Amino acid sequence: MNMSSEAGDHRTPSNLVELLDLRIPGDAEAISRVTDRVSATLSELEIPEEKRLDIALAVQEALANAVVHGCKNDSSKQVRCRLQRDPRGRVLIIITDPGPGFSLEHRSDPKSPANMYADHGRGVYLICQLMDEVHFEKGGREIRMWKF
Amino acid sequence: MLSLRPGGTRRGEEGLDINVRKRSEVQVIQLRGALRLGSAVDELRQVVEEAVGNGDTRIVVNLAEVPMIDSSGIGLLVRFLASTKQRGGSIKLVQPSKFTVQTLRLVGVLNLFEIFDDDDQAVSSFA
Repeated sequence: MNMSSEAGDHRTPSNLVELLDLRIPGDAEAISRVTDRVSATLSELEIPEEKRLDIALAVQEALANAVVHGCKNDSSKQVRCRLQRDPRGRVLIIITDPGPGFSLEHRSDPKSPANMYADHGRGVYLICQLMDEVHFEKGGREIRMWKF
Repeated sequence: MLSLRPGGTRRGEEGLDINVRKRSEVQVIQLRGALRLGSAVDELRQVVEEAVGNGDTRIVVNLAEVPMIDSSGIGLLVRFLASTKQRGGSIKLVQPSKFTVQTLRLVGVLNLFEIFDDDDQAVSSFA
């Protein structure tokens, strides 16, 4: 898995097809609607279940971060989620929030003994395990996640 | 209001059903739906907090009909695993899906839990 912060997503081709472009309020209750919509769209495209589940969970985690940290659970703020696909069938998810931005330097290791029983701190780690490439752009306010 | 009364079922706003039964002094919590951030995790937290508060620290969570657990749901399970163990109990899992097992493994908590094929085995393991 490749991941970077502010390194630029050099794999982004110009001929991506936009499948979804959704905006939700910064409210945790709104997240599942997007996750389920992404999953349904991938299902319609006959993306294999294993790949679809990985993407859906990564979207769930990225939206949770955007709502909780980016919007501070403020429903007057908005999170944008885009689902795109390139001609080779690779899937790109772009999630943008209005917050201060996430830095990979602040990522914790959930597998360390000190964090094993923690009730938080696994989201970004999980995204990086589920997806093939993860990039943070716009000062960490945007996450771009590829599944090949 | 959630209830721990035997047989009580709660349909959460995000589509998580929570059914709680008591068998041989073990709380058996059957879930149906995704366990993820929002009301699903909040409602399960309330149920388990109420059980632990009542001294019921031997808990079985049946995940057979849970297609997805996110990091918020995982955090809830490991937090209550720790608190029940501190009180001499535990949380044991029944029939997690292949994807749930993979998710728990990815974040390094799979081995913290005892996992069983059915409720009977999980309940008996507390004897």
